[in-house]
Amino acid sequence: MLYHEKEQETGILMSKQELYQGIKGAFPIVLGYLPLGFAFGVLARDAGLSLIQAVSMSALCLTGAGQFIAVGMSKAGGSLIAIILTNVLVNLRYALFAASTVPHYKERLSPAVATALSYGLTDEVYAVSMNRYRTHRATASYLAGLVFTAHLSWVGSTFLGAALGHFIGNTEQLGMNFALPAMYISLLVILVRRKSELYTALAAALIALLVGHFAPATMSTNFNIVAATLAGATLGVFFRD
Amino acid sequence: MTELQIWLMILGVAVVSMAPRILPVAFFSRREMPPLLKKWLSFVAPAVLGALTAVSVLAPAGKIELTGSNLYLWAFFPTLAVGLKSKNIFLTLLSGIVSMALIYHFIG
Repeated sequence: MLYHEKEQETGILMSKQELYQGIKGAFPIVLGYLPLGFAFGVLARDAGLSLIQAVSMSALCLTGAGQFIAVGMSKAGGSLIAIILTNVLVNLRYALFAASTVPHYKERLSPAVATALSYGLTDEVYAVSMNRYRTHRATASYLAGLVFTAHLSWVGSTFLGAALGHFIGNTEQLGMNFALPAMYISLLVILVRRKSELYTALAAALIALLVGHFAPATMSTNFNIVAATLAGATLGVFFRD
Repeated sequence: MTELQIWLMILGVAVVSMAPRILPVAFFSRREMPPLLKKWLSFVAPAVLGALTAVSVLAPAGKIELTGSNLYLWAFFPTLAVGLKSKNIFLTLLSGIVSMALIYHFIG
């Protein structure tokens, strides 16, 4: 009885620790999401969304590129069907991410919890958690801390942008437009460890640029990214370390 | 767009952004994954980040710009250097934003 209680206590302490680690792991993501979410809030209002609609969109969709494209297209008079179909393409890469996280969850997270928390799998959450799983076991608490913190910052910064956007002028001079590329660079350098991974990243980079150059329409839908990911990961299987 | 159409857009985008994240996990959590698929999936992260980095730096406005007037290209090198040296996401991100702000003031 006593032993059992002690076990339980350690379990709770450990999951608190894990939750804290997840929240801490989300800090760099929050730094990147603040300017992006803010910018989305401003653009959404500009495209005719109300404050509630802009915030709801960030809360329900949680897809940076997809949301920017949606409000951009709606402002340009795009049809509902076109907007949603474009988003299907933009969000295709999430299916690959989601599938590749599953081996880490096996026997550590229940299928129901793993499935539920996967709603928050963005590019950034994916990269940070995959980096964590190189050295630590996956836990529901860690993933929850990471996902909820990132989601909250995305929704909060959208609110700020949608509510206060018109008070702020040009955010470019603050370097904010480089937040997203800088986020990708930082995630890239921590994720690429082996030679085969480096070659994969370089091959995918080249393919994305070539596809985007010869089929310019794929640039705006991110479909060149999907094509480069499929081709790059396939090549990766054949590269030697 | 009308008020209703905007709400439909939000719900539609929500469905097509959540489904691809949730369904594969729901499917594979209850099944064994073939080893080759597992190996293939392990290369998805480097591939997608390589592609995203290249496009966001070399084609910031949706068209490839390999010239000195592409400020993103200027900001790329100090950011990469800090990243490789520190392997710290926060520092790298911050150095990217600061580099871009400085470049914007002195070159842009």
